[in-house]
Amino acid sequence: MGAVAKAQTFWRSAVEGLRHQPFVHAVSTITLAIALFTLGLARSAAHELDRLVGSLGGEVRVTVYLDPRATPEARGAVATTLRGRSMAVEEVSPRAALERLVRELGPAAESLRGLSEDPLPPSLEVRVPERMRAPESLRALAVELRGTAAVTGVDYGEQAVERLSAIARAVRWAGWVAFIVLVGATLIIVSATLQLAIYARREEVEIQKLVGATDRFVQAPFLLEGALQGLAGAALAIAGLAVFRQTLSPQLATLLSFLRLPGVAADARPWMEALELALAGAALGLSGSYLAVHRFLRA
Amino acid sequence: MIQMFHVTKAYPGDPPALVDVNLTVEKGEFVFLTGPSGAGKTTLLRLVFCAEPATRGQILVGGRNVARIRQSSVPFLRRNIGVVFQDFKLLPHRTVLDNVALALDVLGVARDEARQRAQRMLKLVGLQLKTESLPLKLSGGEQQRVVIARALVNEPALLLADEPTGNLDPGLTQEIMSLLSDANVRGTTVVVATHDLPMVERSQKRVVRLEKGRIVSDAGGAASVRRVG
Repeated sequence: MGAVAKAQTFWRSAVEGLRHQPFVHAVSTITLAIALFTLGLARSAAHELDRLVGSLGGEVRVTVYLDPRATPEARGAVATTLRGRSMAVEEVSPRAALERLVRELGPAAESLRGLSEDPLPPSLEVRVPERMRAPESLRALAVELRGTAAVTGVDYGEQAVERLSAIARAVRWAGWVAFIVLVGATLIIVSATLQLAIYARREEVEIQKLVGATDRFVQAPFLLEGALQGLAGAALAIAGLAVFRQTLSPQLATLLSFLRLPGVAADARPWMEALELALAGAALGLSGSYLAVHRFLRA
Repeated sequence: MIQMFHVTKAYPGDPPALVDVNLTVEKGEFVFLTGPSGAGKTTLLRLVFCAEPATRGQILVGGRNVARIRQSSVPFLRRNIGVVFQDFKLLPHRTVLDNVALALDVLGVARDEARQRAQRMLKLVGLQLKTESLPLKLSGGEQQRVVIARALVNEPALLLADEPTGNLDPGLTQEIMSLLSDANVRGTTVVVATHDLPMVERSQKRVVRLEKGRIVSDAGGAASVRRVG
């Protein structure tokens, strides 16, 4: 009975607090909404970046050059090993390789006509599954293959893959730094704003403590207010993201079409995104109000 | 109920507010603390309900040593102590009923029961028709009666009142003193700090006089003259 009665008291006190200081709470809520909106956009941008890296990564092919003097069984064993690791392997004979080169060279291929035999070695064109496209994995695969007797060389566009991965890595780090700065700044603004609200109610806190209220009893309504503000901020951010995606995103996609970016896409699971933003909002609001009320009670 | 042994309270840069005070208040007693402004009356009350710690000495309230009490235990001690201030300390945005029920909300008493008990206490102090008023709509005497109702609603063992009649005219002063005496008759130990000497003389209760932080006399009540600390 005591816990239920206290929960009802906290709820009434929180609602009363929100009602009596609408301006202060509106500032907190809007701050939270802006932060969550930015986080939502950043999340979509990160999602797009992953897709871009993934699509470029799909272009990476590993070419394994085989020793023409090796037995067909030895060469076949290399292909079998790679297929056993879920890789798509296409065997390219010296003749097929030459035909491909002739096609690619066009008129300049005339000089190749006088060759008496196929100058190119047999090779394997390997498409690596997504989980193995990291530069480290590709490097390890190349080292392993180069150590095989039937293999004379391996080419996987080493520089391009590593540059792309480095760019993606840098962007992700920058994203994390921006995320931490954004969350930190939001917490500081929200807790400073809520501290104003708490300060305005310092007399109420003093009276509560006079009649025997514990710190937890004093804190609870403020924490509830923080969580409610976070949820309200999340609702505003979700609405803002929906409007942004419907109005500005298609125009952005057109502007950035040269990068093959589809623009800031809606999350594939909008309810999940809404839930995550609501939880993030409640957590930010709770943390901000905890910092504020904790600092006030310790002062 | 209250035992103070060699209690001193000093603030940096000021003369000590209390000096080597020894005082015992028995359960069920009614005691006046008197003395000029700055004598240490308010400080003594603040030490008893743990608003601040003593610089030296020991204070026992209901058998508990408040000098050694953990900060987290202070609220539980205060639930047994009703406090009445001259400046009322009422929540201006809450009704009279809500103000009185606050002391029960803190204890986790169910809302309906808390409101019923607050109603009964307001009836006892003669404010049954003002339950839905806001404090600022009441006269000074009525506000003080609300504070007394709030202090007594959870039936504390000890009631501390700091100048409870300071801003009131003689008629209202008598009313407030009657309420405090009634609480005392019902078993609550009452300590009232006041410099209203005529009221003290009329009451025929124990009077402890403080001057410059020291107890200079302790007379009346159960013993006609007590040991001076």
